[in-house]
Amino acid sequence: MKFANKKRISVFDVINIVIMICVVIITLYPFLYLTALSMSSEKYVYAGEITFYPKGFTLGTYRVLLKDSDFWISYRNTIIYTVVGTVISLALTVLLAYPLSKKNLKGRGVLLGFILFTMFFSGGLIPTYLLVSRMLQMRNTIWAVIIPGAISTYNVLVTKTFFEGIPDELEEAAAIDGMNTYGILFRIVLPLSKPILATMSLFYAVGIWNNWFGPFIYLDMKELFPVSLYLRNIIAGAQKAREIVGGDVEGFGDIEATIKSASMVVSALPIIMIYPFVQKYFVKGIMIGSLKG
Amino acid sequence: MNKKAILLIACILIVSMLGVMFTGCGKKETPEKSGTGENGDGTTEQPTEEPSDGGKKSGEEEITFPLKEPAKFTMLYRDHPSYPYREDWILWDEIKKRTNVELELTIVPMSDYEQKRNLLISTGEAPEIVPSTYPGQEVNFIPAGAIIPVSDYIHLMPNFSRQIEEWNLQEDLKTIKQKDGKFYVLPGLREIAVADYSLAIRTDIFEKHNIPIPESWEDLYNALKKLKELYPDTYPFSDRWKGDALLNFASLSFGVQGGWGAGNGIYYYRDRDEFGFYPITDEYKEMLKYFNRLVKEGLMDPESFTQEDEIAVNQKFATGKSFVISTNTQEIISMRQKMKETLGEGNFKVDMLPPLEGPKGRVISGMRLDNGIVITKKALDNPNFEALMKFVDWLWYSEEGQTLTRWGVEGVTYKKVGDKFELLPGIKAGYLGINVDDENAKDLRNDFGMGNGVFIFSIYNGHKELMYSYMTEEARNFIQKANEICTLRPPAPPVLMDEVEREEANMISQSLMDYVKQMTLQFITGQADIEKDWDAFVQECKAKGSDRLVQMTNEIYQETKDILE
Repeated sequence: MKFANKKRISVFDVINIVIMICVVIITLYPFLYLTALSMSSEKYVYAGEITFYPKGFTLGTYRVLLKDSDFWISYRNTIIYTVVGTVISLALTVLLAYPLSKKNLKGRGVLLGFILFTMFFSGGLIPTYLLVSRMLQMRNTIWAVIIPGAISTYNVLVTKTFFEGIPDELEEAAAIDGMNTYGILFRIVLPLSKPILATMSLFYAVGIWNNWFGPFIYLDMKELFPVSLYLRNIIAGAQKAREIVGGDVEGFGDIEATIKSASMVVSALPIIMIYPFVQKYFVKGIMIGSLKG
Repeated sequence: MNKKAILLIACILIVSMLGVMFTGCGKKETPEKSGTGENGDGTTEQPTEEPSDGGKKSGEEEITFPLKEPAKFTMLYRDHPSYPYREDWILWDEIKKRTNVELELTIVPMSDYEQKRNLLISTGEAPEIVPSTYPGQEVNFIPAGAIIPVSDYIHLMPNFSRQIEEWNLQEDLKTIKQKDGKFYVLPGLREIAVADYSLAIRTDIFEKHNIPIPESWEDLYNALKKLKELYPDTYPFSDRWKGDALLNFASLSFGVQGGWGAGNGIYYYRDRDEFGFYPITDEYKEMLKYFNRLVKEGLMDPESFTQEDEIAVNQKFATGKSFVISTNTQEIISMRQKMKETLGEGNFKVDMLPPLEGPKGRVISGMRLDNGIVITKKALDNPNFEALMKFVDWLWYSEEGQTLTRWGVEGVTYKKVGDKFELLPGIKAGYLGINVDDENAKDLRNDFGMGNGVFIFSIYNGHKELMYSYMTEEARNFIQKANEICTLRPPAPPVLMDEVEREEANMISQSLMDYVKQMTLQFITGQADIEKDWDAFVQECKAKGSDRLVQMTNEIYQETKDILE
């Protein structure tokens, strides 16, 4: 309130604003550049003349992309994986974090130890692969993409810390009124935890959306590939085609820079669009978690 | 109390994890060991069985395509972003029709093909046929017995065996042999040696100023010098591929190796029948001096060795800011396409120079093997194993198979006019530059599945006539000319190291070659002085183990030479 009335602009404000504007430009520039590339005609792209607005404006690239069924199939897959994955991840995270937030849970320390352990050590690629594909038989199913990374230790810890901040008295009152544990969790705790739920959803959604490695190793059929794999192949794969060992020309052919940038723009769009809506919870959720932690 | 508890937990955790790890390893190892055991038995038995089978061949069931019973083979497929995999390619239908074989594919994006291949082969989950594997990449799978020694089974591969004989590839084939005298990868075979990389020049600029077309590296220097006088604020030569292609093909005519072909620093001196460390030779110094002179006098862009290809091609060569660049027979087509956009049609003329003459004359690499196919041990369990090998032989090595994977089906995608293949109307092949301007035409590669790197190895592969049919007039002339005027450098014989020796050699050569590469660039760009710093460079190479590497290589080579015979 005090600050709102202050009319004089201090030196600090000026410097701060200038720096912040610079930061904004730096963060925005890649997006602008990509968007500009995707809408420019190739001539200017080849000559490297694009900066942050399109030259020789055309939507031709997007038209080509629209016709590419591979892209849309993988796009659909990504949406399915993200939605289902986020719901599952969120549910599992809450169900794990909530009991852990209770001080009277027996063996809490041991459990926490086990969970923390996974933050620093992992079984390695080959055992993990064998587990998922041979023992669990999840290869080539949606589950291989979602389940192995469903719970992020970090997210569990943040959520747990948030739950610890909810006053015990509330829950006790509910218990006295005859509510069981699940009732308390779903009717009392969760409605109070919207910020953390929103934050975690965003974390998980972005994580799954961008994840290419899991799908890459567990999926063998093209109709299951998410859009991240599609993108990786047209960017890194095209690069590789040109650099292939010893410069052997068997992978001739190139993807146009405009196509690459158009597909990047289209696949980054949904996540960017979700962000503003979740943002208000976002800061709150993270801060609460960290402060109390 | 608390601390103790934590300690206890930590201990329990570590012990249990270690336990899990060990049991995990044990579990993993046992089946593998028993697997190799079976496999070992299998491989020792089979070859003895097979030849007798081969002897009987004329008698009973010989496998002919199409197979009587339909068969299904599994295969790893490298999905190229320029021609994404499609289920409805007629390629698959034709394979099925002609062989009664259905390929069950595991699709892997090209971007990370090696990683997934390695993962699948090491976990034993790989399909039976694994193509797109370069000789050298297979060695890690050999000790565990994950892939089969294909050399034991080439009697099942009539086309492959015949081509080895007819095209005199025995020497080439030796280069992929392992310590046991066997080889584990079926390489693509070339009938003739091909130099695919060379320099491209802006012929129109050369002609405009009456600069003679260079025949040797010295000519090139003079030409660049004139260009620099005419265009003082440009670098007439700005290279791509970070100079690796350039050093690769230039080093041949200087009698050394370099760039992509730098290898582990070991060079085979045929006259002495021994190996030496080439980066410290006078020949290598001479090559560095030559390029250093180009950079020093402002004839060559010092960024040549660091810049991205896009910048070298799109922003410099294609916009007329440089006049000389490395290229290959495909890239030159795509550069022309780009220059039509940037400079406009008719405003430029780009040609590929034949390999230039150096101190050792005009030399091209005589290596005639391409990337290849490995067969995993899973295939041995397939009751149709023999058919599988025959199928591989048919699809990748027979003339019929190669025609199918290159041109498709007669009457559907192409027709033959005399000796020439001609695409039917309404079909284009963008990658070959055929009918490119027909917007509505279907693409031979994208829409029909032909010209696929997985099946054709490389465009230089296979029967000479088929290979030439797949080339532009220009590329064909280039290759023929190069073969006429150049001498071939035959491949060096392999040094048959076992696992431990290979590891030691790698340990030495990795840091050694990193250093060599770094110094090579410094010498060329002038950050290090060739005259002053050369001795220090030689000393440092020796300190990093170049002598040991040479000695080791020669010893092993002399000891194991006989295995190859």
